[in-house]
Amino acid sequence: MKRFTAMSCPYIAWIAVMIGVPMILIVFYAFTVEGNDVATVRFSLSNFVRFVTDATFLQVLGLSIYIALLTTVICVVLGYPVAYVISRAPGRHNMILILLITMPTWINMLVRTYAWMGILQSGGVLSTILGWFGLEDVTLLYTDFAVVLGMVYNFIPFMILQIHTSLAKMDGSLAEAAGDLGANAVQTFLRVTLPLSLPGIISGITLVFLPAVSSFFIPKLLGGGQYVLVGNIIENQFLTAGDWNFGSAISLIMAVIIMISMYLTRRAERRVSADRG
Amino acid sequence: MDESRKIIEFKGIARSFDGQMVLKGVSLDIYDNEFVTLLGPSGCGKTTLLRILGGFLTPGEGRVWFKGEDITALPPYKRDINTVFQKYALFPHMDVYDNVAFGLKIKKQPKDVIAQKVMRMLRLVNLESCAHRSVNELSGGQQQRIAIARALVNEPSVLLLDEPLSALDLKLRKEMQLELKRIQSEVGIAFIFVTHDQEEALTMSDRIVVMRDGEIQQVGTPEEIYNRPVSRFVAGFIGETNIIEGAMAAEDTVRFEDKNFPCTQRGFEAGRPVDVVIRPEDLHIVRREDGMLKGVVREQVFKGVYYDTVVETRLGTSITVKMHVSEDKPVVNNEAGEMISANNFFLDASDVDELDDPRVVALASAEAWDAATGERVSIKSVEYDIKKAAGAYKVTFSTAEDTSITVEAVVREENRAVSTVFREEIYAMDFFVKTDDILDSMALDTDLRTWANASAWSLTDGAEVAVTEVRYDFDADNIVPGVYDVTFSTLGYRYRVSTTLCLPEETEVGLSFDPEDIHLMAKEGGG
Repeated sequence: MKRFTAMSCPYIAWIAVMIGVPMILIVFYAFTVEGNDVATVRFSLSNFVRFVTDATFLQVLGLSIYIALLTTVICVVLGYPVAYVISRAPGRHNMILILLITMPTWINMLVRTYAWMGILQSGGVLSTILGWFGLEDVTLLYTDFAVVLGMVYNFIPFMILQIHTSLAKMDGSLAEAAGDLGANAVQTFLRVTLPLSLPGIISGITLVFLPAVSSFFIPKLLGGGQYVLVGNIIENQFLTAGDWNFGSAISLIMAVIIMISMYLTRRAERRVSADRG
Repeated sequence: MDESRKIIEFKGIARSFDGQMVLKGVSLDIYDNEFVTLLGPSGCGKTTLLRILGGFLTPGEGRVWFKGEDITALPPYKRDINTVFQKYALFPHMDVYDNVAFGLKIKKQPKDVIAQKVMRMLRLVNLESCAHRSVNELSGGQQQRIAIARALVNEPSVLLLDEPLSALDLKLRKEMQLELKRIQSEVGIAFIFVTHDQEEALTMSDRIVVMRDGEIQQVGTPEEIYNRPVSRFVAGFIGETNIIEGAMAAEDTVRFEDKNFPCTQRGFEAGRPVDVVIRPEDLHIVRREDGMLKGVVREQVFKGVYYDTVVETRLGTSITVKMHVSEDKPVVNNEAGEMISANNFFLDASDVDELDDPRVVALASAEAWDAATGERVSIKSVEYDIKKAAGAYKVTFSTAEDTSITVEAVVREENRAVSTVFREEIYAMDFFVKTDDILDSMALDTDLRTWANASAWSLTDGAEVAVTEVRYDFDADNIVPGVYDVTFSTLGYRYRVSTTLCLPEETEVGLSFDPEDIHLMAKEGGG
């Protein structure tokens, strides 16, 4: 046992340097203002005050959460039927379908998002097709629609896989038992299958909502330069404005929001699993 | 049975999975208020038949009738039939009460009626106090009862039980057997129970349906199935028993072991070959001179109340061959650092045509190896010119490094030794071995059988008969060159007897039995 403890030392050191130190730095920057040096440290809450008092920033935060929620809801609604079909498919087909779902994720997300730009831009594939139906001059790129589409496209595999896992490990005889006891297909789904797959849905929500709420390159590429979500603000503060203190404060606010939402989903998950002992 | 009480009718049900026939045209009637068991080994189609009745599978051919109505195409939720699943299939996200109430809630019955019915069912299975416990907190036996309550609360006309006791331990299983029987007689509906456990079937059933390979073998009461099985399969499956080949000497006399015995069963004409069944508990051990059969005690196992005793009444078919033991050592090739060895061997003239290199290597047990490491070296060439005429022929084996050995193949016109007793034939031939082969042998009996090529078969149907006995009187640990006798034999007639007498092995005893305890079956395979 002792030896194993010793073996974990390099990892602990690695985690401390690569995760612990940056976290501390972010907290440090967030609570200070510019112009620090070794001798003088000026603590301040002004970064936070600036964020919560500026309506623009709050609007951006609201939009980010709204887009992320919309993405999550669409992922559940579209992902569930897909996961259901996959979990009911016979063994070999099952493997192929899972492969088809995961295969796009082997290609860099950025590359795939660029591809969507090509598809959505005016004169692109989609607008040309719409043109055939008399829907010319429909703006697709640089809209809410494009951003949500990009997010759903990128994050839906996580949702499908989570739901599929919970459906696949469900004992098939449970649905049979429901039918045996007089429930038709719809009743069986609503009373047995859906409640039993809730843990999968909840962990799928976690896996989609978190990256969606903090994503910055999808809104940047598909929403255009003027489309700003929280992720973009943080990026701007660090890369363009050079205000690391304010950027850190926003990051910290997002971290708190994410922690709260994780806590809530955890609690929901525990409630669901507590129901079954 | 009364036609009006017929509740289920299977008419020529056939079903296959992936091209394999699991049910081959099963027809069966089930009556109201009876406890029917579908009994058979796994893969016999019993569960498939049950699932077809439950509506979870559709038959490829045939119809299912229920109370005078064709329900073949009806989905499960429209059938007045409920099922207790093998692993209970209780809903894990509901408590005990909600599990039991599930069917009633689906039927939208009033809340107070549901509460009344659920509690009545929980009382029936003695689990009233568990109503609001989580189903995962319950023991296997309790889950089992909840599954039964959940099915019965819907007041079905038939309850299906798919190996419901297989997950329980022995003691609980015995309890649940009686419990199930009690519940069935209390609710008064038909139970159809699937199991592979013959004891379970005998304990609980009003009727047993014995199935095998997708077909029904026999349908009858437990007593009928046990005492008057129709086939070797049923007799063997339903419990330990003695099955002896015989033939009818007259209509009231059966002949087996070269003796005539009176029997009370009728229906087989003189000369007809039959299988004779005598249950172990119907055989009595008596003094040798009083015995209808005489034999020797081979083995006794204490079973609590009685000794399970094996009495051998006749030795099996046997053959004795000569084993030529030499002290030949392997040939050493110092230059190549290799060793090679091979034995002389006997060969039948009739087998010469089929010879090829690998066969010759096997017959001579030829092998070569590296002298230093002991690693096997392959034999590159085999030279021989064996003719069909009797005589001794040289055979030379050599490796790539020219390490070689020459042995003799002795061809005989007819090297077979065949012994025919009791419609059984055994074959073995003389063989050569080296003292080292015997000293190195890990399983000498098996090796002797291999060297002598010993095998036996039935003259009735050609089926292989195991050569179980190998006897010799040399000392395997201190073998010296010479010629030795080795005797191979098949198992004799052995009888299982349940007796309270404790008898040492090799005791000479007699066996007696009553004419009414002899049960006769037509020989399988259309005999």
